[in-house]
Amino acid sequence: MRKTRLTAFFAVLLLAVVSVVVIGCGGGSDSTTGGGGSETSAGGGGEPLTVGSDIPYPPFEQGKPGSYTGFDVELMEAIAEKIGRTAEFQDTSFETIFRDLAQGKFEAVISAATITQEREQAVDFSNPYYLSEQAVLVKEGSDVKSLEDLEGKTVAVQQGTTGQELAKEELGGSEIRPYPEGPDAINALKAGTVEGVIIDAPVAQNAVEKSGGVEIAEKVSTNEDYGIAVAQGETELLKEINDALQEVKDDGTYTKIYKKWFHAEPPKEIFTANHEPE
Amino acid sequence: MSEFFHQYFDFNYMGEHFWEVLEAFLQNLLIFAVVAVLALTWGLILALLRQLPGKKFMPVRFFTIAYIDLFRAIPILIVILLISGGIPFLEFIPKEIRIPHWFGKPDPFWYGTAALMLVYGAFTAEVYRAGIEAVPGGQMEAARSLGMSHWQAMRHVVVPQAVTLIPAPMLNEMISLLKDSTLVSVIAFAESVLISRELLAESFNSSALLLTGFFFIVIILPLARIVDKLIARNQGKITRGSHIEVA
Repeated sequence: MRKTRLTAFFAVLLLAVVSVVVIGCGGGSDSTTGGGGSETSAGGGGEPLTVGSDIPYPPFEQGKPGSYTGFDVELMEAIAEKIGRTAEFQDTSFETIFRDLAQGKFEAVISAATITQEREQAVDFSNPYYLSEQAVLVKEGSDVKSLEDLEGKTVAVQQGTTGQELAKEELGGSEIRPYPEGPDAINALKAGTVEGVIIDAPVAQNAVEKSGGVEIAEKVSTNEDYGIAVAQGETELLKEINDALQEVKDDGTYTKIYKKWFHAEPPKEIFTANHEPE
Repeated sequence: MSEFFHQYFDFNYMGEHFWEVLEAFLQNLLIFAVVAVLALTWGLILALLRQLPGKKFMPVRFFTIAYIDLFRAIPILIVILLISGGIPFLEFIPKEIRIPHWFGKPDPFWYGTAALMLVYGAFTAEVYRAGIEAVPGGQMEAARSLGMSHWQAMRHVVVPQAVTLIPAPMLNEMISLLKDSTLVSVIAFAESVLISRELLAESFNSSALLLTGFFFIVIILPLARIVDKLIARNQGKITRGSHIEVA
């Protein structure tokens, strides 16, 4: 009895030592070398601007830590450069993103986030940087041709998104399944466990192009404007972001990034789109 | 500081959503109950297969050990994601089994319970095995010398003694199982963590999560005390000599 316990104890000890050594090797460099080895993403140098985003949400945000990319990411990097700072992205979960912003875990949020009154009670939004639609994504050859056709059927959405709100409003008799991440919802559609996904149109478009087997049945305009969020009271940072966003729109950088990710001309309204924080 | 308390300890908010969260927590208990029955049975089968004697049962022992090792090593979250994402694609399986809606429960419920059963079957098998192996070898030899077959000796002599040894470690497994039932939230089954996070997304208030945690504490703390009692009782038996009373 005693011996086996001792063996078990040493086994646990060994495991603990190994994990400490492994973790130590990974993270130890910046603690020993001081300022030398801090990670930075590409940008304009200067003080880092910490940005929260729920990754992946292609084509808005995608990629691995250290090399995030996507429409939001490139736009934010361009904006940060105009301000004279370097955008540093932090992957976080969407349903806590505004709370974390309010608590100061990062300075700004760019995460395909629609400006809503509800969210504006917690944070402040910049001028719109993207005008969005929701898409009803279905399997290829499905009988579902519109949002109404999903009534009474099983529908997947991403938790905490406007797609979920739309589903709740329009589809009272349906079972709505909120998945923590968008790709999980689309996977459920492909697997056939749900009959439709209501999600941001570009995300749906990306799924159609990249994954195949699915198609967009209908696009629903919901007057959704995406904005960059900052904590309430950060008026100076908000002004800097708004000014930089306008510059990026005016000098053609915006159009370039938009074309790269959405393969289309940006709508004209976006260049004059304004938003007054409440 | 007050922001922190408002965020996590808003008792008004907890009161408003008490029944909603409790109802969702009952779903966790339901997952737990279904999986506990299935995993305890499946684990016993695995443990007995693993104890089969002789050369001809070598392949059975091999596959059982491989199964147990495999499912003890893979994180449950991965098993849940693989089953819910993979099984529906296997079109040779009839649709009623591939995408089950048995007893009015949606398919994520069944994918979750299946995944938890596969994993916890492996864990409980190890607990059974520890119990069986703790029964002195002389018991099996004596039973065999009386003319019993391996199965008879197992059924009438070894397993009845083994089960008196395992309640404590088995209860520990069951406590983990109850907590792991929250993992089914990742495939969008409406249990307590998913509902709490829904409320969080709606109101930006985390208090519902804390309420959920409170429900788990209420159920699990008494169980943990029982585990302590059982361990103390077993210790007593062992120090009194290796004689084990059959309950």
